[in-house]
Amino acid sequence: MRTGPDSVGPLPPAGVVSSPPEDRRPTTSSSTPWLVLLLWLVAGGMIGRSPLRADLWDDVRSRGVLRWGDDAEGGAPYLFHPEDDPTKLVGFEVDFAAALATRLEIRDQFVQNNWDMLLPALRQGGSFDIVIAGLERTPENLAKADLSRPYFVFAQQLVVRAADTGIRSLDDLRGRPVGVLSATASHRLLERRGTVEIRVYQDNVNYFRDLEVGRLDAVLTDTPIAQVNLAGNEKLRAAGPPFEPGYYAVAVPPGETNLLARIDQAILGLTTNGTLQQIYTRYGLWGAEQEGLRKWTAPAQVIRRQRSALREWKTYLPMLLRAAVTTVWVTCGGMTLAVIWGLALAIVKQYGPAPLRWSATAYIEVFRGTPLLLQIYFIYFGLAQQLGLKLSAGLAAVLALGLNYAATEAENYRAGLLAVPRGQMEAALALGMKRRVALRRVLLPQALRISLPSVTNDFIAMFKDSSIVSVIALVELTKEYQIRAIDTGDYLGLGLLTAGIYFAMSWTASLGARRLERFLQHDHR
Amino acid sequence: MITVEKLSKAYGDHRVLDAVDHRQERSESVVLIGPSGCGKSTFLRCLNQLETPDAGRVTIDDVTVDCARPVERELQRQLRLRAGMVFQQFHLFPHRTALENILEGPMHVLGRPRSEVEPEALDLLARVGLSDRAGHRPSQLSGGQQQRVAIARALAMKPRALLLDEPTSALDPELREEVRDVLRRLADEGMTMLLVTHDLQLARDVADRILFFHGGHIVESGTPDEVLDHPQHPRTQEFLGQ
Repeated sequence: MRTGPDSVGPLPPAGVVSSPPEDRRPTTSSSTPWLVLLLWLVAGGMIGRSPLRADLWDDVRSRGVLRWGDDAEGGAPYLFHPEDDPTKLVGFEVDFAAALATRLEIRDQFVQNNWDMLLPALRQGGSFDIVIAGLERTPENLAKADLSRPYFVFAQQLVVRAADTGIRSLDDLRGRPVGVLSATASHRLLERRGTVEIRVYQDNVNYFRDLEVGRLDAVLTDTPIAQVNLAGNEKLRAAGPPFEPGYYAVAVPPGETNLLARIDQAILGLTTNGTLQQIYTRYGLWGAEQEGLRKWTAPAQVIRRQRSALREWKTYLPMLLRAAVTTVWVTCGGMTLAVIWGLALAIVKQYGPAPLRWSATAYIEVFRGTPLLLQIYFIYFGLAQQLGLKLSAGLAAVLALGLNYAATEAENYRAGLLAVPRGQMEAALALGMKRRVALRRVLLPQALRISLPSVTNDFIAMFKDSSIVSVIALVELTKEYQIRAIDTGDYLGLGLLTAGIYFAMSWTASLGARRLERFLQHDHR
Repeated sequence: MITVEKLSKAYGDHRVLDAVDHRQERSESVVLIGPSGCGKSTFLRCLNQLETPDAGRVTIDDVTVDCARPVERELQRQLRLRAGMVFQQFHLFPHRTALENILEGPMHVLGRPRSEVEPEALDLLARVGLSDRAGHRPSQLSGGQQQRVAIARALAMKPRALLLDEPTSALDPELREEVRDVLRRLADEGMTMLLVTHDLQLARDVADRILFFHGGHIVESGTPDEVLDHPQHPRTQEFLGQ
């Protein structure tokens, strides 16, 4: 079916959104949140419903280019920048994509996309036509996209430190930290077993680093990743044989049966004519297990129902709340540090002797002027690598947030100190107070009251900023949302639950702050 | 009690104080008058080192400060402990009650226990007529009441002398009388006071001696009767004639 670009879907009639005339009184402010919510739901519905368009295969053929999405952070051997020429992109999936396109008599084009968001972006359509990203042919992934016949056979491989000779399988790792890539078959396998402490990572590189320095006791990953990272690394070894084999498949937007059929046909051709064997041999990945590609036949399709987080809130809300606990303690810890350290910085910058004053100024400028993400990486990975200072993810998160926000808090306090009239210091000195006593008894109590609204503001901002700590394998609320949303595909329902929790947290914080302000104000009158 | 020798201060090329000399006996109250910008407030603030003079010597009671050299903080503090200060804008601590404002110095500068200081503070509040305002914050008090608390706060430190910088200038005319009343009684009780003011009524009420300040100098000195009613110096005549 071919329809024009104007068929985005019917807009709701104006009457649905605007109130009838007799309701248009100034009192409508109470209904505003409902209007916003309604608009959001309508908009969400339109995005969720994939717009009707021309057959994707027609598009691809007339364009002459097959655009495939993947994440270059995925690393070797899938796709990576070789050390001798970082401008190039190589890997067995790069070669496979090229061979696939050639077989379809068109060219291929790589499109970079965050690994986590590959399938949602594919469903959304627009930037790429297919996904080639080591996607497992699992029921979870089949619920989100249509999958081709397999182009690679992989298995799970447990990796441990070479020195830990006692570990042979997951059974030896009860209650101990094991790293996995987010939303992979390995991740689900660990969740199903539930016997180890799962640490979720965004890429295939950092968990090996954390395993080497001792933050993890094992990594569970796919055989190709294990193979590449174990080669030439004497610190790590494979624990036990590979297990739980599975298939990598190409993902195609749901319903694009024509494109899927072409790709299936092409893969079968590459399998039987030996092209795949050539490619995989080049990367040292060919083994007897790949024979399974020839014999593969499509199993009976299990149609998985899209799950609704709102309907199943009893399952999802506790998961999100557990993650919210991490958000709360990381934020409270970080803010406590920021408030205390910031105060010290403000006092030193305002009243300290020259060298200390310069140091405080430099600190504030550096921490304000560089990204929080960079600071987290520096504290967590940088210190461990260069100084052997192995902070736990939780401590690193609290430190990074605290040290970063301290710079902002210091300036808040300084604004407060500068806002206290000069006469206050003079009156204190005239009474015979030493500067330190004057600061403590007269200036700071007044300055802190002035800074309180800004500090509250930052506290609430930190609740949201704390989501950035998920980059160091800490599953807080936003990360949990992301994991569950990728699993269920229910971005809207989970989003509402998650937003509700965030709102409850920041609302509680601002209520508390308002009470404190009123208390101090009372004090003032 | 107060001796000032050759006190000088300049802002750039502008000489605010030009080698000013001044002697004042115990229990004497001296009032400085003069046009705006003549240096009289600067003079007062130099006495307790809220401004740093360029040269000269200041003695209050047993403490002498030589202003030509950098002054040690502790010596500055000793000087300030002997001279209480009352400001035009009161400068009460807004986050503390009237009583707490008075307790602040004795407890947190002299380290005396509250049990000992509180009766004295309540007595001081009674002397300035504010016994019923002990628990009020400065923002709940009128200007005249705030200034009376500020005077009590300065007196709580038992200073040897009191420096007052235009204590009635920020007040509405009808509120000045209550502050004048307090200061009149202090003068009668023999408090050594050095007072800068534009309030000629106040000057007449409390001064044993009046100094007319002009261009960084004391150009005329005498009893209120002499200076206010029979000024000799043309500048004084011009000022009072306005």
